[in-house]
Amino acid sequence: MLMQISEPGQTPEPHQRKLAVGIDLGTTNSLVATVRNGSAQTLADIDGNHLLPSVVYYGENARIDVGEQALTQASGDPRNTLLSVKRLMGRSYTDVAGEESVIKSPYELLDLGQDMVKVRTRAGDLSPVQVSSEILKSLGQRAEESLGGELTGVVITVPAYFDDAQRQATKDAAKIAGLNVLRLLNEPTAAAVAYGLDQQDEVAIAVFDLGGGTFDVSVLQLTKGVFEVLSTGGDSALGGDDFDHALAQWFVAENKIVSLDMFQQRNLLTAARQAKEALSSEAEVQIGLGDVSLTLSRHQFNDLVDPLIDKAIRACKRALRDAKLRNDDIHNVVMVGGSTRVPRVRERVAEWFGREPLVDLDPDKVVALGAALQADQLVGNRSGDEMLLLDVIPLSLGLETMGGLTEKVIHRNTTIPVAMAQEFTTFKDGQTGMTIHVVQGERELVEDCRSLARFELQGIPPMVAGAARIKVTFQVDADGLLRVRAREESTGSESRIEVKPAYGLSDTDIADMLQQSWASALDDKEARALREQQVEAEALLQALSAAMLKDGEAMLSESEQAELLAKMEALHHEREQGTAASIARHIEIVGKGSEVFAERRMDASINQALAGRRVDEI
Amino acid sequence: MSEFNPRENYFALLAVPQSYEVSQSDLTRRYRELQQGAHPDRFAGGSERERLNAVQYSSQINEAYETLVSPTRRAAYLLKLAGVDSDMSSTTFQDPEFLMQQMQLREELSELQDASDPESALDSFYQDLNAAANQQKSIFSNAYAQQQFDEALASYAKLQFLEKLRSEAELKESELLDY
Repeated sequence: MLMQISEPGQTPEPHQRKLAVGIDLGTTNSLVATVRNGSAQTLADIDGNHLLPSVVYYGENARIDVGEQALTQASGDPRNTLLSVKRLMGRSYTDVAGEESVIKSPYELLDLGQDMVKVRTRAGDLSPVQVSSEILKSLGQRAEESLGGELTGVVITVPAYFDDAQRQATKDAAKIAGLNVLRLLNEPTAAAVAYGLDQQDEVAIAVFDLGGGTFDVSVLQLTKGVFEVLSTGGDSALGGDDFDHALAQWFVAENKIVSLDMFQQRNLLTAARQAKEALSSEAEVQIGLGDVSLTLSRHQFNDLVDPLIDKAIRACKRALRDAKLRNDDIHNVVMVGGSTRVPRVRERVAEWFGREPLVDLDPDKVVALGAALQADQLVGNRSGDEMLLLDVIPLSLGLETMGGLTEKVIHRNTTIPVAMAQEFTTFKDGQTGMTIHVVQGERELVEDCRSLARFELQGIPPMVAGAARIKVTFQVDADGLLRVRAREESTGSESRIEVKPAYGLSDTDIADMLQQSWASALDDKEARALREQQVEAEALLQALSAAMLKDGEAMLSESEQAELLAKMEALHHEREQGTAASIARHIEIVGKGSEVFAERRMDASINQALAGRRVDEI
Repeated sequence: MSEFNPRENYFALLAVPQSYEVSQSDLTRRYRELQQGAHPDRFAGGSERERLNAVQYSSQINEAYETLVSPTRRAAYLLKLAGVDSDMSSTTFQDPEFLMQQMQLREELSELQDASDPESALDSFYQDLNAAANQQKSIFSNAYAQQQFDEALASYAKLQFLEKLRSEAELKESELLDY
């Protein structure tokens, strides 16, 4: 007799909702949100905080703190307290060296040439990808605890302006954090989704997103559930942090301060941020460092930040021109990012677009809320829903041609996914290889663009010059990530290659980091329990397989065999993908299911042992 | 789900008649309908093969739409379908009237930065440019409909010249208006 173990309420319902969340991985703060009872909401930690400061602290004895806890270390141990690492994602030292906030960073950056910059900490030299993965891991845990189950998938938002390397870095960080990424979603698109602005007839809207470290502006066309991005622009090095730095610089200049140590720097920046926030409601504030103090009026503050807001407005002009629209064609302006709380920003935006911007939703949460709605749809919880997000590629992709010039293959603001093929030929008789250099950016000269990949195409059959036809295909997926394939067509030789941009991490790098993150997760109870159950499942499966091979056919009917095999199969699957609890449940099912088999084998071995022996011999 | 066919005719794919005159609203409506079913987001939980197919098919729909929605690219595509080589690298113009128009437009463009109101000068330049382009589009449309491919090819070449002028103007616009 075979018994099926199934506790009431424990069997998963066939149409159970899958757990999916949206994550806003921000420069200053990060959030996680999900859809509950049909509406999106951000999830709080046990202390009731929704915002998780994007800060990771590497302490003594391999201790890692994330968020508030890490932030408290910022003034005591600035070298090991990593803030704003989003600015470093997918970027080399040269890319970031010129940025004000990076120069002022109290932690040590390593110049690794063309490779992604790393940060020197007591935990070793860390890639911003690893640091970001700690933030993602923390949000993933928060979500699983709060929702009471494992996440099926996540949608992670990125600034629309992020290039390929920055997107790849974000996806890699999620992979290291053990999250299944359903989609990288552009932040402005997420914000439009959160406002549900698709209800109206065909209208154009602008999303003005001024966060801590990046500025994005996107122009979207909305029609009955279709969110079509027309253009996107911005500045990947402009944000509220720059307001703080402008304030701090003013303070330093006013007081003729010659130099500041790391602690003073950090304290001054904190004071500047507090002053900025207070000025949203006060007419003037005191800003102080040690025993030096100055009064700052809102008027003075406006003068300090106006040049920064000018940069944002210029990007708006450009985005509108790319969308072939004028500022009075814009039906709504959605405000996103904590820095849009600054009254001066709202004033200038209202003035330039000629209408009051939308500020109903919390500008810090709006992106995460939109991402949650998209995640919910992608895992299939909202069947029959018509929402469709058509994003564009933010920066042109091109190839290096003669003389260090760029030839654009895919133009910026082209709707993705997109594939373009370009044919190349050899210029020398018998040439068997050629170098292809893929770059991203708008500039004419290759050296002014971001180098994504440089690869050697080898094994071209020797032919006269100009006879080979090498077809190179550029495929950009819905996440905005590039794959390049090359093929020699004239001979039909299928020498295919796939290239991942050089700035991203190689698969081995990711595997190493995964290993590290698993190793550090060993202390985690759940991880340990999982590993134990996996080992037990493996032992049971091995023993049972061996027994089946030996005696299965002799001792079990065909249907009994099939039934037991199906249960073993299910356990095997669970061992690969399940949780500790679900594996334990399946171990029990297989155990019960194999009882009859075990009994018969026992009987058989007793019979065998008894055969031909006298009772007194036993 | 629909299978990706790399040789699919773009007009057939977007279900509009194969001619230069296309209804933009029909194109856009059909485009959105197709993407609703084909976009990779619809296969987020699908197999590797399904997702790859979705990326390719959805890319093709985007490419088809962008080809047909652009007057210049649509013309090139129609010529290609008719078996006409539209590579313009060695074309010379024998049309004095068009050459004159080109010269006038170039002059207008080069004088932009000295205009007292560059923004309105730019606007009037774009108006002239659009008028010239519309003229060529209507010549192309008639010639193509009557299968006079030489004439269609000539007007396509002119359209390309005007297009090049437009991108030069846009560059200038960025400089002038300080984007």
